[in-house]
Amino acid sequence: MTALIEVRNLDKSFPGVKALRSASFTLEAGEVHALMGENGAGKSTLMKMLAGIYSWDSGEVLVDGAPVTIAGPKAAQALGIGIIHQELNLMNHLTAAQNIFIGREPRRRFGFLDEGKLNFDAAALFRRMNVTIDPKTLVGDLTVAKQQIVEIAKALSFHSRVLIMDEPTAALNTAEIDDLFVIIRDLKAHGVGIVYISHKMDELKRIADRVTVMRDGETIATLPAQSTPVETIISLMVGRELAHAEPPKVPEIQGDEALRVVGLSRGRALRDISFSVRRGEILGFAGLMGAGRTEVARAVFGADPIDTGEIWVRGAKLKIHSPADAVRAGIAYLSEDRKRFGLVTAMDVEANISLASVMRHRRAWGFLDFPSLKALAARYVKSLTIKTPSTAQVAKLLSGGNQQKLVIAKWLARDSDILFFDEPTRGIDVGAKAEIYKLLQSLADQGRAIIMISSELPEILRMSHRILVMCEGRISGELTAAEATQETIMKLATRTHVATGTARGGAHGDEHGPVANE
Amino acid sequence: MFKLRHLAAVVALGTAVGLSAPVFAADTYIPLISKGFQHQFWQAVKSGAEQAAKDLNVKVTFEGPETEAMVDKQIDMLAAALAKNPAAIGFAALDSQAAIPLLKKAQAAKIPVIAFDSGVDSDIPLATAATNNALAAGLAADKMASLIGGEGDVALVVHDQTSRTGIDRRDGFVNQIKAKYPKIKIVSIQYGAGDQLKSTEITKSILQANPNLKGIFGANEGSAIGVLNGAKELKRKIVVIGYDSGKQQKAAIRSGEMAGAITQNPVGIGYKTVEAAVKAIKGEKFDKVIDTGFYWFDKSNIDDPKIAALLYD
Amino acid sequence: MSTDLSQTNDVSLRSLRAALFDSAAGQLLLAFASLIVLVAGFGIASPNFLQTDNLIGILQATAVNGVLAVASTYVIITGGIDLSVGTLMTFCAVIAGVFLTYWGYPIGVGVAAALICGALCGATSGFLIAKMEVPPFIATLGMMMLLKGLSLVISGTKPIYFNDTPDFPVIAQDSLIGYLVPSLPIPNAVLILFVVAVAASVVLRSTVLGRYIFALGSNEEAVRLSGVDTDFWKIVIYAVSGAICGIAGLLIASRLNSAQPALGQGYELDAIAAVVIGGTSLSGGRGTVLGTIIGSFIISVLTNGLRILSVAQEWQTVVTGVIIILAVYADIMRRRKT
Repeated sequence: MTALIEVRNLDKSFPGVKALRSASFTLEAGEVHALMGENGAGKSTLMKMLAGIYSWDSGEVLVDGAPVTIAGPKAAQALGIGIIHQELNLMNHLTAAQNIFIGREPRRRFGFLDEGKLNFDAAALFRRMNVTIDPKTLVGDLTVAKQQIVEIAKALSFHSRVLIMDEPTAALNTAEIDDLFVIIRDLKAHGVGIVYISHKMDELKRIADRVTVMRDGETIATLPAQSTPVETIISLMVGRELAHAEPPKVPEIQGDEALRVVGLSRGRALRDISFSVRRGEILGFAGLMGAGRTEVARAVFGADPIDTGEIWVRGAKLKIHSPADAVRAGIAYLSEDRKRFGLVTAMDVEANISLASVMRHRRAWGFLDFPSLKALAARYVKSLTIKTPSTAQVAKLLSGGNQQKLVIAKWLARDSDILFFDEPTRGIDVGAKAEIYKLLQSLADQGRAIIMISSELPEILRMSHRILVMCEGRISGELTAAEATQETIMKLATRTHVATGTARGGAHGDEHGPVANE
Repeated sequence: MFKLRHLAAVVALGTAVGLSAPVFAADTYIPLISKGFQHQFWQAVKSGAEQAAKDLNVKVTFEGPETEAMVDKQIDMLAAALAKNPAAIGFAALDSQAAIPLLKKAQAAKIPVIAFDSGVDSDIPLATAATNNALAAGLAADKMASLIGGEGDVALVVHDQTSRTGIDRRDGFVNQIKAKYPKIKIVSIQYGAGDQLKSTEITKSILQANPNLKGIFGANEGSAIGVLNGAKELKRKIVVIGYDSGKQQKAAIRSGEMAGAITQNPVGIGYKTVEAAVKAIKGEKFDKVIDTGFYWFDKSNIDDPKIAALLYD
Repeated sequence: MSTDLSQTNDVSLRSLRAALFDSAAGQLLLAFASLIVLVAGFGIASPNFLQTDNLIGILQATAVNGVLAVASTYVIITGGIDLSVGTLMTFCAVIAGVFLTYWGYPIGVGVAAALICGALCGATSGFLIAKMEVPPFIATLGMMMLLKGLSLVISGTKPIYFNDTPDFPVIAQDSLIGYLVPSLPIPNAVLILFVVAVAASVVLRSTVLGRYIFALGSNEEAVRLSGVDTDFWKIVIYAVSGAICGIAGLLIASRLNSAQPALGQGYELDAIAAVVIGGTSLSGGRGTVLGTIIGSFIISVLTNGLRILSVAQEWQTVVTGVIIILAVYADIMRRRKT
């Protein structure tokens, strides 16, 4: 049987970078083929070629055994190749049906749109996928998970036989991931070949048939997904054996109280949130996506307003009306979306490191003290081992892990000692994750208070001295490091205060397979 | 991008050289710096100047800023004109005082300056070719009075409250009414920047506010057209008196929608300016004040060859 | 800042190419080259163009628009836009007229009043934008009209002349340089433009304010979340920009020996055009004062040169439009590459 897609020895260079070196892989009909590798390994480049976004320098691509050229996205669609990008390409002000058929709307005479047929066709697609979405809903009103389904429906509407999914679960909660996997299995059963790009090892085990590992633009190996141990895959990805995670540390921290929050509330998003964190402690915030963890951090940080509640910093009650107030009190917030909320990516490393503390490096009349700024930047580049050619490098050219270190450096340069980390390792590859963990640990050891928000349970379990679990805007429980397991956390995370239908029941800890760093 | 920039420069220069070619053929060059160039009125002045240039065998150019507020842009134009070593200059000042340093420079370089349109408050210009706007607007007031029977409410839509022509025409009209027609009341004076659309809206609001209004004086072409449109949209019968000509005003006068208008002699202004400049270059004698005249025209005399020659489309 | 990109030690051919074509420094170089080409071209086309008098005329014609463009540069780098620079300039000129001519204060007081008034009006725009979250386009559009109206009201719709203060026109019209080098009677207005430009450039590159101007333009939310009082700094930036408009107001009043209340509208577009031609990105985060100055000169050289060649006025406008579109296109191409 000929493969659906066969890629032979593709090469691709960008100015100054060899993005792909003789990459090869095959996709069979009806299989889920996972593509794994660190950031920059070449996964996206390879897939963008299949989707017609890039062209290749040399090598060939065969579809159904016949060599093809893919001149653009339209050509890819004609070959039955659909791609679902990590960042969804939907128009929020149009309905689901209008999004699916954008540019190909069924028409009646005189060019009038046939809205009825449009909605009928979209409904048929959704029915085929066994999902219930009203085609007439505005996409902006749908959850991210449903938006993703709309994207899949759009790809299927082109009669795609190949579906490329780039980190489809990045923004989904456990229940939504389950739903997505049902759809994927169904597509598979209908003979669609799926290329699945992900960082998450547990998903690989749950959904993939084969896995191809990429490193430095090369396809290193293709292995059966079920029978290959996770450690093998990781070591192929990083090209070295990972040092094993250190054992859980001393659970009780006896430092002074750094931050106390009492009765924090805002509308339905935050309800009566109270907690405290000590110097030297890492407090984990677990919960499903949308449980209100980010909202807690932003409220304490003064980024969003609150209705009621008290904030005590180092024993003194403070009024925090803006991030400026919070920063003055030594509080820092490191968003999960570093590019939007953490960095000025168009500016250089030095400007980013000094962003929160530039007022401390000025001379008379507001002139910048350049030697002092340079020294500051150089110090943190060295102490946090930020990989950059110079402190004049523009931040957007750094990798995700180094960008995260840049944000950390920004706050250390400001002497912040209460740090909220929101998904500190999101979008960071496996090798760099371990470094970030070490960094968090050493920050705590230096006596800073760390509040770590994470959706990755192994990360929470590995790092936290104490764990708070949130559900629907409330703190639904507290666990010591000793008590906490994936099961206990998931139980609390789905313990809704009033029985409503929003937290769907499918989230069970036991569905989390082996995870990357263990 | 580099290539594009170059291409643009080459195209610009090419266009420039191509269009300017005739200028270099001229021996005697007289630039006219006017107050504007887009309105039909200025185009008529320009055509008069060009006619004179042809008759007297000299070369002229004609330019003016986009709006009558752009005093500094006009000064820059005057400076550039002086840099071309002209034989004489025609100048219609937007603000006389602002132009004085440059006019002194012209005087020092012995370049004769002829003022036109509204003149220049200075003794440097050797002559001024202009309409007496205040007198002309006074004539409009007389006509308005007789058309509405000597009593009732009237209003003005003027193009500008700062420019000389705006002020002269407004005051000329208002003072004449006050002095001679005590039973006529001026209920509103509004400014529409000479913009037809704005003047239309202004007219409508005046008509809404004054149900007994008998007539409106539009103080330049754009204002007058605006008044006509406004009255038409509200289906109100009033006496409309305009200023200057142009296709639309002429048609309105022929059809009777507009009672009549004052016309200046723009072609004559342009012609007389160039004529005086040539005389100055040759050292001949000419009048210091060249009144180019103004005329009332209505349905009865619009096709009179004497009037028709002054009107422009 | 991004110009430092070219200083990284990787001296491969690509980085050289990148430095020339992609970086802000490269854009500056190209803009400057275009200016030289224009000057040379016009010089060849007309013997009258390169005469001292005409070159001084060009410098003088650039002064006011150049200063306004510098004021706009700050705001545009923050990702904002200021449509009120032209009428604010006029308003400051009128204020100077009121203080000097109507109230008879000494020149120093009139100058200070104009600058303070500019800063206050700028701060008002900044307040509307930062605290009341009115989009910059709308807030400054409102200010543009408001100030235009106020200028007419305060001046009684008539120009205010400075005949009683003969030293006032001297500010812009006399020539300090001419005293030192008699063959170069460059008017003070031009000197002031260069002083303003150098000062603005130093502030932009070497002060906290300049750092925040770039940072706000790159990612305002990240700056706010870094504990910077972004509202305060925005107000400061608009106030500084307003004070620079005040300088422009003094220049134009001094040059025309009068405050012309009806003037000013439309000048903001010339200023924005100069900023854009100079390579400052309308989406914010990138730009230089030097580029803006070069952009202003490109516009005035083009205008003057076409006039000297007696090109019909309609065509002058067409050519200027084409140049602006090309400049913006160049900016877009540059952004697509990086």
